[in-house]
Amino acid sequence: MRSAQRSALMFTALCFLTARSAASAETDSTAAAPPAASAPAAADVMGRLDALTEQMQTLQSDTDKLKRFKFSGYLQVRYEKSEASNDSVQVASKASAYALNTITPANQDRFYIRRGRFKLTYDSGPLSQALLYFDGGTDRTLRLLEATVTLLDPWTVLHAHALTIGQMNVPFGYEIERSSSVRELPERSRAENVLFPGERDRGVKLVDHWTPKLETVIGVFNGGGINHPSFPNTDPTRAKDVVGRVRWTGGTIDAGASYYAGRELAPLTGPDVATDKTRFGADGEVYYAAPRLGGGSLKGEFYSGHNQNADSVKALVAPGTAANGATLLVAGADPAHLATDFRGAYVMWVQNLGEPLQFAARWDTFDPNVDLDHDQFQRVSLGLNYFYDGNTRLTVAYDAVRTDKPAANGYTDPKDNLWTLQVQHKF
Amino acid sequence: MSLRFRRFALAAVALAGVAAPAVAGRGITLKGSDTMVILVQRWAEDYMKKTPGQVLQVTGGGSGIGIAALINGTTDVCMASRPMKDDEKLKLRDRYQTMGIEIPVAKDGLSIYLNQQNPVTTLTIAQLRDIYTGAVTNWKQVGGNDAPILLYGRENSSGTYTYFKDNVLMGRDYSSRCQTLPGTAAVVNAVSKDANGIGYGGAAYASGVRDCAVKKDGASAGVLPSEKTVRDGSYPIARNLFLYTRTRPAGDVKKFVDWVLSPEGQTLVTQVGYFPVR
Repeated sequence: MRSAQRSALMFTALCFLTARSAASAETDSTAAAPPAASAPAAADVMGRLDALTEQMQTLQSDTDKLKRFKFSGYLQVRYEKSEASNDSVQVASKASAYALNTITPANQDRFYIRRGRFKLTYDSGPLSQALLYFDGGTDRTLRLLEATVTLLDPWTVLHAHALTIGQMNVPFGYEIERSSSVRELPERSRAENVLFPGERDRGVKLVDHWTPKLETVIGVFNGGGINHPSFPNTDPTRAKDVVGRVRWTGGTIDAGASYYAGRELAPLTGPDVATDKTRFGADGEVYYAAPRLGGGSLKGEFYSGHNQNADSVKALVAPGTAANGATLLVAGADPAHLATDFRGAYVMWVQNLGEPLQFAARWDTFDPNVDLDHDQFQRVSLGLNYFYDGNTRLTVAYDAVRTDKPAANGYTDPKDNLWTLQVQHKF
Repeated sequence: MSLRFRRFALAAVALAGVAAPAVAGRGITLKGSDTMVILVQRWAEDYMKKTPGQVLQVTGGGSGIGIAALINGTTDVCMASRPMKDDEKLKLRDRYQTMGIEIPVAKDGLSIYLNQQNPVTTLTIAQLRDIYTGAVTNWKQVGGNDAPILLYGRENSSGTYTYFKDNVLMGRDYSSRCQTLPGTAAVVNAVSKDANGIGYGGAAYASGVRDCAVKKDGASAGVLPSEKTVRDGSYPIARNLFLYTRTRPAGDVKKFVDWVLSPEGQTLVTQVGYFPVR
């Protein structure tokens, strides 16, 4: 834009000069012009050039300011076909259908916008940056995902230390902070979804690059996260959650370890009952180049700790009734049992197939209570990405989900596998 | 499960079928550093004459633009007058699972251009830093005439801009008075017409201006950029010029890179005004 403006100005100046030169040459060829006449003409040209230069500098100053804004984002549009249905309740909600006890067949496929995100950053100067990040995808309204101010240290050349405050991804593990726009499969692992729903929280973090390969992060957060019912303005646990991570980025081998400690309130009426919320995470990524095919990687992540368990809450907490609106523990229940030890993991293989194609396979598991059987979640996901151009990616993915559901002869795996076709455009 | 897998395989094959035409029958595209355009265009011309049927498209825009194109797949080869940054390598890895292949193809002494009439002959790195950050604004402060210093530099998408900022300004921001220009040739042109101007850029462009000798510090001797001083490291702001590919070069790209690094290709480096790596 700026160079185009500059070119236009230069072109105008050149035309002007050429026209003047031609006119002058013509005059010279017909009659000898008095020397006194050309001096004011040259001064006039120089004056106009100076004026143009001044205008150009003003334009440049303005565009330099505009260039501090950076706008980016991506859109993910999906078609899903599931063995289970998310729409059957709505479809069957007609009173006549209930009355006749004939439920309309469940709807098992749908188009929807999974993510519609845009990010605005402003480089205020060499030492600070502001960021606003919105999502207009699954939510019906525009939702603020991230809002941060980052201060960079002035004492290192590459600003190796950065303090960020605001609403941001919780700096835990590998997959949380990795953008959905670059992830090889449509969704993150189940463990991450359960432990960090929404991935983001409000707080502060300090990122230090001690060497180009060694990074540490420490952070303090409200703890609830952006999907918690108390969000956005309250922090009922009062005490803040803390998180720390150390990461080695070797290039072909990366590894990280994370720890998170906090408290979580039980959804009970009366005095606060808080349970521990601890998470330990370890991850590793290995990258390789396969002859002819291109790059590939193997990635794995492990989660363990102690967390409030939705099944335990459901089993041990009696919701309020019309007679007694209080939400209380069932008789004899120990509030400590609302939280359980969990374990989760995934292993993922990604292989580029030439430049436009990429294959991904992942096995992931999550056990919300390691002391209980038949509550585990397991999933095998396969995906193929086709990079249509530098901005657009087409994805076909299949999730084979394995869970145990009580049945007459023990347990059965409910039908809830999922096909996903996705088009993503990034800008 | 086998039926499901067959469906997935079918969808995969269909997607691969869509992909196949997109990769067939292309020439080699090279994009990036404006500093390197002059050199790579020369390589391309000679290589295309030598290899009939092979098409090479060379475009500038700056190292940052070239690296972005390498990441989003719109160029086969990136020309860069600075090494890729860590965050750029990670972006490349996110997409291609590789950190890219870095191939040094020439050396360059980052020249400090002065107008022919400027009496200043030598500047230290610290003085250059002070000049370009705005701490020094008059030539008198560095031994010259009593005249304001007019700064010319490159746009922030330029690898030369980044290299100069990282290695001379030590990460500090350029003075707001620095006028950014789109290409080293424009910087040279501006300095050649401006008695009080100063600019920086590739050695190959230094025509109509005078190179300024550069001292590492006040105690060392001033050094002019030359093949000898750049190759032996005595010139303080020497750098490598790179070609980057996403994966190890293969096929036509490998043949071109091998030729660039051959004695024939490296001879052209000297002819253009840069310095060979071999």
